Amino acid sequence: MVFTNQESSSTKSASRDLRLPGIGASPGVAVGRALRLDESGRHQFYYVAISGGQVRREVRRLREAFAEARAQLQEIKDKLAHQLGSEHSYILDAHLMILEDDRFQTEIKQAVRRRKINAEWAVRSVTDRIIAAYKQVQDAYLRERSTDIEDIASRLLTILSGHTEFNLSELTENVIIIAEDIWPSTVAELNFNRVLGFATNSGGQTSHSAIIARALNIPAVVGIHNITQNVRTGDAVIIDGTLGEVIVKPTKPVIRDYLIKRETFVEERRPNKQATLPAETLDGVRITLRANVELPNEIESLSLFGAQGIGLYRSEFMFLNRLPDLPDEEEQVELYTRLSDATGEQGASIRVFDLGGDKLSLQGFEAEQNPALGLRGIRLSMRATAVFQTQLKAILRANRRGNLRVVLPLISTITELRLAKQFIANVKRELADSHIEHNPNLPIGVMIEVPAAAMMADIFAREANFLCIGTNDLIQYLLAVDRANENVAYLYQPLHPALLRTIAHLVRVAETVQVPLELCGEMAADPVQAIALIGLGIRALSLVPASIPLIKNAIRSIEEEQVRELMSKAMQLVSASEVEELLARELPLQAPRFFAALSAKG
Amino acid sequence: MQERRVTIANRLGLHARAAARLVQCAGQFNCQVVIERADNQQSADGKSILSVLLLAAARGSTLIIKTAGADEERAAEAIVELIDNRFGEEVSDGLY
Repeated sequence: MVFTNQESSSTKSASRDLRLPGIGASPGVAVGRALRLDESGRHQFYYVAISGGQVRREVRRLREAFAEARAQLQEIKDKLAHQLGSEHSYILDAHLMILEDDRFQTEIKQAVRRRKINAEWAVRSVTDRIIAAYKQVQDAYLRERSTDIEDIASRLLTILSGHTEFNLSELTENVIIIAEDIWPSTVAELNFNRVLGFATNSGGQTSHSAIIARALNIPAVVGIHNITQNVRTGDAVIIDGTLGEVIVKPTKPVIRDYLIKRETFVEERRPNKQATLPAETLDGVRITLRANVELPNEIESLSLFGAQGIGLYRSEFMFLNRLPDLPDEEEQVELYTRLSDATGEQGASIRVFDLGGDKLSLQGFEAEQNPALGLRGIRLSMRATAVFQTQLKAILRANRRGNLRVVLPLISTITELRLAKQFIANVKRELADSHIEHNPNLPIGVMIEVPAAAMMADIFAREANFLCIGTNDLIQYLLAVDRANENVAYLYQPLHPALLRTIAHLVRVAETVQVPLELCGEMAADPVQAIALIGLGIRALSLVPASIPLIKNAIRSIEEEQVRELMSKAMQLVSASEVEELLARELPLQAPRFFAALSAKG
Repeated sequence: MQERRVTIANRLGLHARAAARLVQCAGQFNCQVVIERADNQQSADGKSILSVLLLAAARGSTLIIKTAGADEERAAEAIVELIDNRFGEEVSDGLY
């Protein structure tokens, strides 16, 4: 990708604090100058009529451009596999296959021969025609292939135009990337040390760009309708990935505010000497802080942030964006072995692929009337048994150290747990019968996300090896609220007494039956909510690795006995707002060092 | 020239992976391979991934495989077998 028309600094217009709302894809604040990537106009090319004698030369240029493009893509693919894991490099496979399509090459060469035009024009006109044909297709998955073809066309045109592609790995200044979308191949080429953040027109929470931004810890906002129309290269821009907002041409006071906000954000999360200190309250109660992990390259940051193993490996990210192609058993064995090697004694809990609902909408699956209540989680696993079986085999084989655990998502009834356990037992028997090396000792955990499972927790506690509360879904189902629906999002209330009472119930059950209880979900990464959970008796939290230092600081500033009393009061209140008020009033008094400072910063 | 009719049985139809296998298979033969959708007569070059994908042939669609050339018979057999075997996808039931 290259710069669009570079704006000279003299044409810079006045500051105006234009605020553009979007979806916060990766938290944090970035303040800097924009680098606008432009897809459609990123190459200039001309129509040139050629003579019969020049045909041969143009055809040779085409052949060389195809060979060069293939070499570049192969290199990018290797790099992407190295940075993000092989499950993300598949994107380039489609590109390579198209490049190797004989008919595609032949048509372009024929355009040169028959119409006597230059190679650039032939590439443009043939690919435009193919892209137009793909855009007509009903199937969303196939329609998406048109972006692959455009990516290839751009690459060929860049090579043909003689100068090397504007190289993002050679960025010399820190920039904020503004683009329609971040293309997979661009991501592989970016020098992330120079990228402060990015904002895109397209994309959602689970888009590839969003996942990558989170994994690399770069603030990002996606799904902003008109960001590319409003930003030019060189404009000052603020990205607020926490709020999901971009401020274009901010005024000085706003920049000042955000520089402070950025400092605070970075400071609170700075992995420091505290990484090795225990997460222990002032009165000596130890809390286990584990990491939620989505991408393999996050594994390396675990010790940096002081994570005690992985509390939730979201295995569906390996599947996501990849359908209909699925990672095979060997690839999964390799990845799970990495999880096992990286987490030592603390180990890793692998959640069985939890596809479904929104995540599947574009993958060519039949849409459901009500996906949140439909075929997802364990329900889907027990239907797509071959996929489930492959994943289980891979986990059992990778578990040589015996530190892996498996967690079953969206369990509603005890029958589901029993069937799943039976299924796992069968997979073990199959491996044993085929004399395949594996470790049959695999603890099985149940995600408590469905209110029915929470109420029946005592039954699950007797038949599962551990319980894991998933607050994101539990809140959604308990309050019957879709947080992505802006009309009802206000009902998404993590501190609602109904949820607090549910969690207190689960803590009691776990103590009575003596079964380990963990909690994962965004609540665990919010200091006030995390402390509330500890006051309810939760002793193990799993959260995004980058937030562990912040939560550890909060824990080290409180007395468990005091917050326990506070929470028993909170459970007698009637609404989430009353609980919020209570905590906002009391926590700064109890732990001024942390919470008074936190509320002063706003 | 050989002509065979075959119905797509795998759930996702001629998506990327299946189309790639079909193109690879067709590419092993010297003869010309044309894939046609029986319902709308849309046809594709069996050796071109871009062309085959564009058929957007879903599960249940009937395809007509036309081969012409010295090894036309072997090519037709191989392609029909591949489609009948659901492109060798290991998953036989469920959602995938």
